[in-house]
Amino acid sequence: MEPLTGMGVLALMGAAATIAGASEDLESDVGSQSNPNSQVQLAPQMMYPHRIYNKAVSGEPPSNALMCAIGGTTASVLMTTGASAALALAIGAIVAAAIHGTYSVTSYLGRSASQKRFKQPIYLDIIRSHTPVIMGYSFITTFCILVVSYLMVAVLAHPFPLPLLAFIWGITVGAIGSSTGDVHYGAEREFQAVEFGSGLNAANSGNIVRKAESGLRNGIDNSWFCAKFGGPVTGLAFGMTVFLSGWVTAVFDPSRGDAIGWVSVLAGVIIVLILILWNRNMEVAARAAFGTYKEDEAEAEVAA
Amino acid sequence: MSAGGSGAAAEAIPQNNIIAFGVLGGLIGIYGAYFLVGMVGQYMSFIGALGAICGMVWGAAAVRRVASYGLGTGVPSIGMLALGMGVIAATFGLAVGGIAGPVIALVTAAIIGLMIGVLANKVLSMGIPIMEVSMTEIATAGTITIIGLAIAMTGTFDFPVVLSQVISTGYIAVIFIAGGLAILHPFNACLGPDETQDRTLMVGVEKGAIAMIVSGIVATTNPNASGALTILIGIALWYVAFSGFYDRTKRDAYDVVGAGMLPSKEELE
Repeated sequence: MEPLTGMGVLALMGAAATIAGASEDLESDVGSQSNPNSQVQLAPQMMYPHRIYNKAVSGEPPSNALMCAIGGTTASVLMTTGASAALALAIGAIVAAAIHGTYSVTSYLGRSASQKRFKQPIYLDIIRSHTPVIMGYSFITTFCILVVSYLMVAVLAHPFPLPLLAFIWGITVGAIGSSTGDVHYGAEREFQAVEFGSGLNAANSGNIVRKAESGLRNGIDNSWFCAKFGGPVTGLAFGMTVFLSGWVTAVFDPSRGDAIGWVSVLAGVIIVLILILWNRNMEVAARAAFGTYKEDEAEAEVAA
Repeated sequence: MSAGGSGAAAEAIPQNNIIAFGVLGGLIGIYGAYFLVGMVGQYMSFIGALGAICGMVWGAAAVRRVASYGLGTGVPSIGMLALGMGVIAATFGLAVGGIAGPVIALVTAAIIGLMIGVLANKVLSMGIPIMEVSMTEIATAGTITIIGLAIAMTGTFDFPVVLSQVISTGYIAVIFIAGGLAILHPFNACLGPDETQDRTLMVGVEKGAIAMIVSGIVATTNPNASGALTILIGIALWYVAFSGFYDRTKRDAYDVVGAGMLPSKEELE
C-alpha cells in the first residue's frame, strides 16, 4: 500500500475513534456507569434517594465489548450476504444500540427495586427520557468502532475477522472511557457541593448532588456537564491511542524489512517516554499552582 | 439479605434443582439439536440455543450464590472467568470427543472450575465457603452456553465445522461476551439488599433470549442452521421474560411512579 493512503486511512480511523471515545464517555455518564455508579448506588442507603439513572452493565469495558461485538457480528453477517459496508455497519450499530437499551433498562429497574428498604422509587419518566439518549450515544460509539475495525480489515488487511476486532476495540474504548472521562463525573459533578479538590470524606459518602440548577438533577444534566470536558478529553485520549499506535507502523512499515520494523518499535518507545514526561510535568505544574489541600478551620478544631 | 452483605443468599428454588435444570436442559438441548438437525431438518437448530439458555440461567444462579458473599465489583470478573474457563473446556472437549464431545467438555470444565475454586480459597485465601462448588458450576454453565450457542449458529458440534464457522470467523467473540453477560448481568443488575431470586433469574432468561437472537442472526449465513426460526423464538422468549421481570419489579419495588418528586423526609423516617 502507498504510505500516503495508509496515512489517510489512519487519519480517518483516528477521527472515528475520537468521536467514539467522546460518545462512549457521555453514554456512560447519562446512566452513571462504572466509577460514579458506586455513589449513585450508595446514596439511597444513606437516606439520599435520587432521580439519577442507575445503569450498571458490569462496567464499561464488557458492556462496550458487547455492543461492538454484536454490531460487528451483525455487520459481518450482512456483508456476507452482499450488503454494502456503510449499510451493514449502520444496521449492526442499530441492533447493538437496541440490545444495549434492554441491558440499561433491566439494570435501572433491577437495582432500584432491590433498594426497597431504602425507599428508592422507580421513576418511569427517567426510563422513557434517558434510555433513548443512552441508545443514541451507544449507536454513535458502535458505529465509529465498527468503522475503525472495518478499515483495519478491508484496507489495512488485518488478519483478525471483523467481530473479533470490534470486540477488542470495544474493550479498549470502554477501558479508556472508564479511566479518563469518569473522573470528571464521579469526583467532581457528584460532589459539587464540597470544596474543589477536597477529596471524598467518609462522612460525605452517598451525599451526591441531587438537585439541579432547576428541578431535580438527572442523568441528562450530568451528561450536559460532562460534554464540556470529560467527554471530549476521553475522545482525544482514545483517538490518540488509535492514531499513535497505528502511526508508528504506517510510517515505518515493518513489511519493508526487519530494520524498519525495529525503528517502528523504537518510535513507539519514544512516544511512550514523551507522554510519561509530559504527564509528570503536568502533575508537577498543577501541584505548584494549586498547592496541597488545606484543612479548613472547623476541621482543624475538631482535630485539635 | 443478599447483595453487599456477607452470607448465603435466600433461595426460593433450591440450587440443586437449578443445577439439574442446567445440566439436563443443557445436554438435552445440545444433543437434541445435534440429532434433530440430522433427522428432521436444519430448522431444529434453535433447540441448541434453548439448551444454552438453561446453562445461562444456571450460571446466573451460581453467580448470585457466590457473589452474595460480598463479592461486589467482582461480579463482572466472575462472569468473564466463567466463559474463559468455558472456551478452553469447550474447544478441548469438542476437539477430542467426537460424539461424546459435549460431555467431555463438561467434565473438563468441572475439573478446571474445581481447580480454580481450590486455588481461590486455599492460595488466595478468599474464604468463601461455597467457592469450590460455585466455580465448578460456573465453569460448566459457561461451557454449556458456548456449545449450545455454537450449535444454534452451525447446526452441529463437529469440531472442524465449529472451528471454521464459529472460531475463525470471529463469532466466538459474540458468544463469549453475550453468554458472559447473560451469566453475570442478572445478579449485577439486581444487586441490592432486597434482591429476589426469581426476579434475578428472569433477567437471566431475558438476556439468554438476546444471546439466542444474536446466534440466530449468525445462523442465517449457515446452510445447516435456521436463522429465522431461532430469531423469532428468541424474540418471543425475550418478550415473555421481560414482561415477567417487569411484573416482579413492580411487585418488589418500593414504588413505581410515572413521574414525581423524591420521597419526603417524613416518608424516609
